[in-house]
Amino acid sequence: MNSVLALGLAVVAALVGYYIYARYVDEKIVKVDPKKATPAKMYMDGVDFMPTGRHVLFGYQFKSIAALGPVTGPIAAMQWGWLPGLLWIVFGTLLIGWVQDYVSAIVGLRNDGQSFGALAYRLISPRGRLTLLSFIYFYLILIVAAFSDMTAAMMAKLPSVPLAIIGLMAVGILAGWMIYKKKVDIMVTTVIMVVLALFSIWLGSVLAIPASKLVWVLFTLLFSYLGAVLPIWSYTQPINYISFYLVALGMLGAVLGILVGHPSFTTPSFTTYTIGVGPMWPILFVTIACGAISGWHSLVSSSGTARQLESEADAKYVAGGSMYLEMILATIALIIAGAAFANFDAYKTALKAGPATVFSVGMAKFFGFIGIPEAFGTAFAGAMFCILAITVMQLVVRFARIATAELVGDAVPAFRNQHVGAVVTLAIVFGLVYTNTWSYIWTLFGGSNQLMASLALLMATIWLASQKKSHAFTLWPALFMFITTIFALGLTARNLILNVGKLQAGTLKPATGQSIGLAMGGNIVAAAIGIFLMVAALILIYDGLKMYFKIRGETRAPKAPVAQATPGDD
Amino acid sequence: MAAHDMTRYALKTRSSMEHLFILITMGDLLGVPILPPYYSLRLLPYVVPQIATWKRRMLREKDLTDALF
Repeated sequence: MNSVLALGLAVVAALVGYYIYARYVDEKIVKVDPKKATPAKMYMDGVDFMPTGRHVLFGYQFKSIAALGPVTGPIAAMQWGWLPGLLWIVFGTLLIGWVQDYVSAIVGLRNDGQSFGALAYRLISPRGRLTLLSFIYFYLILIVAAFSDMTAAMMAKLPSVPLAIIGLMAVGILAGWMIYKKKVDIMVTTVIMVVLALFSIWLGSVLAIPASKLVWVLFTLLFSYLGAVLPIWSYTQPINYISFYLVALGMLGAVLGILVGHPSFTTPSFTTYTIGVGPMWPILFVTIACGAISGWHSLVSSSGTARQLESEADAKYVAGGSMYLEMILATIALIIAGAAFANFDAYKTALKAGPATVFSVGMAKFFGFIGIPEAFGTAFAGAMFCILAITVMQLVVRFARIATAELVGDAVPAFRNQHVGAVVTLAIVFGLVYTNTWSYIWTLFGGSNQLMASLALLMATIWLASQKKSHAFTLWPALFMFITTIFALGLTARNLILNVGKLQAGTLKPATGQSIGLAMGGNIVAAAIGIFLMVAALILIYDGLKMYFKIRGETRAPKAPVAQATPGDD
Repeated sequence: MAAHDMTRYALKTRSSMEHLFILITMGDLLGVPILPPYYSLRLLPYVVPQIATWKRRMLREKDLTDALF
């Protein structure tokens, strides 16, 4: 199959989904009212609650949701062949993905812009809030671990990338200084800094920095640490700002490359049902997370976007539309994995160094179709991959240090210190990355991500039921995602525990430079996190379904007969 | 579009500082006796335009996930 055809199919599916299904849900089920005051207008404080134009918000939403998920998942899922991945990306987004993003925004909109913790308390149960927040804490740690692991592996494999990232750090700091301290015009700053960032990428392509994966793991964690503790204007924000332009250029280059080169898939449409990490169901559905559905999006939609929407009518465009665009990004990643290599074996060889290497090498080939030299293309694609990771990692570690202070600060005052909170978080992340393989970390992350999505859909279902609205379009996806991800997490935890036994018996060798004790410890910790996430999700689902049936019972119960007034009564 | 995040964070930083200042000086309005009323009264005219927003922000139920965005 030709890659242009696959991209075309995804675009047509996105248009059909957006203009038919999304419009039906928006107008007939949710019944948005453009005249209704949104939280952004009712509670405008110029900061959290701020009416913002739909096009600006679309960019905000897309930038916030498009991290490594839509890129890495499809690349890893190519092990089953391109067809299962493509089908899950398209139908997952059409039937589940956009629904979750959209209803999360609507639930936030119709509940005064409340965040998920408050909603869980009110809609599910009082213990729901703490359970959800502790779930989110470990889920976010897994995000950092998965992203750090992959970027470090790629930087070790492709030594042209590190200098580009170091250059981006310097450019970001310089941009922050110019904008905030020197008050230089933002357009002038942007142009200079994007050119400098491109220069640093070129410099990386001619000046390699070879080092081991461990060094780059520590580098990514240092990067995140600085993002977590430095003032946000001086480091995180300007880096993310300049990164936006590089990612946009990269996406544009990839689409042009596919259109100009129009290569066919060189990998088989279907390989086998069970691969190394497990069977297609349930593992494929958690391997491709953000490209089809992702719990992270619900956090963005409810806490971020819902408080800024000017009109209820914008929710479909902003939340739903950006999910459909992410589906296109996931399809591009699938095409890169499936069409950029000579054959399936070449893809598998590249995958051994991690999905990031597949992305960089494959994308460089696509850039080659539009005349970009391979060395620069590889460094650019590698930098783009790192950017997608670090922009989220910085925010997550920043969040985790605040969460650590809130959750255990009262019991252990030392945790109130921002450096302690950040270092503890990063130490857990380091332990996970150092003692595990990326495939298990990714599956654990994917499982927790999809569980978060099913919890968001469950909350939306309860809210829709309480409003006496039709809710089959959220209930069935919630149940499907819940069952699938519980099985995926269970399977991964089981594999990790079995690995401990194999390491002990000597039938499994630890990674290079790792002792058996360390590898066993890592597997036990990862399995424990997986089990904890399962238990937390089961509690939430139990409470959630109890509340759902209670509401259903109340709404279906016959109304008490109204006493009829009889003539003569006073 | 790209600068929306930066603008928002800049505003957020300024508002946090301003709201902290109002809390210190006008805490009485929320039942927190902090400064002698004389100083509060001298500052009051400058703070009046922001009191409604400040009260809403201070009393709004907050959540850990708010720290993400």
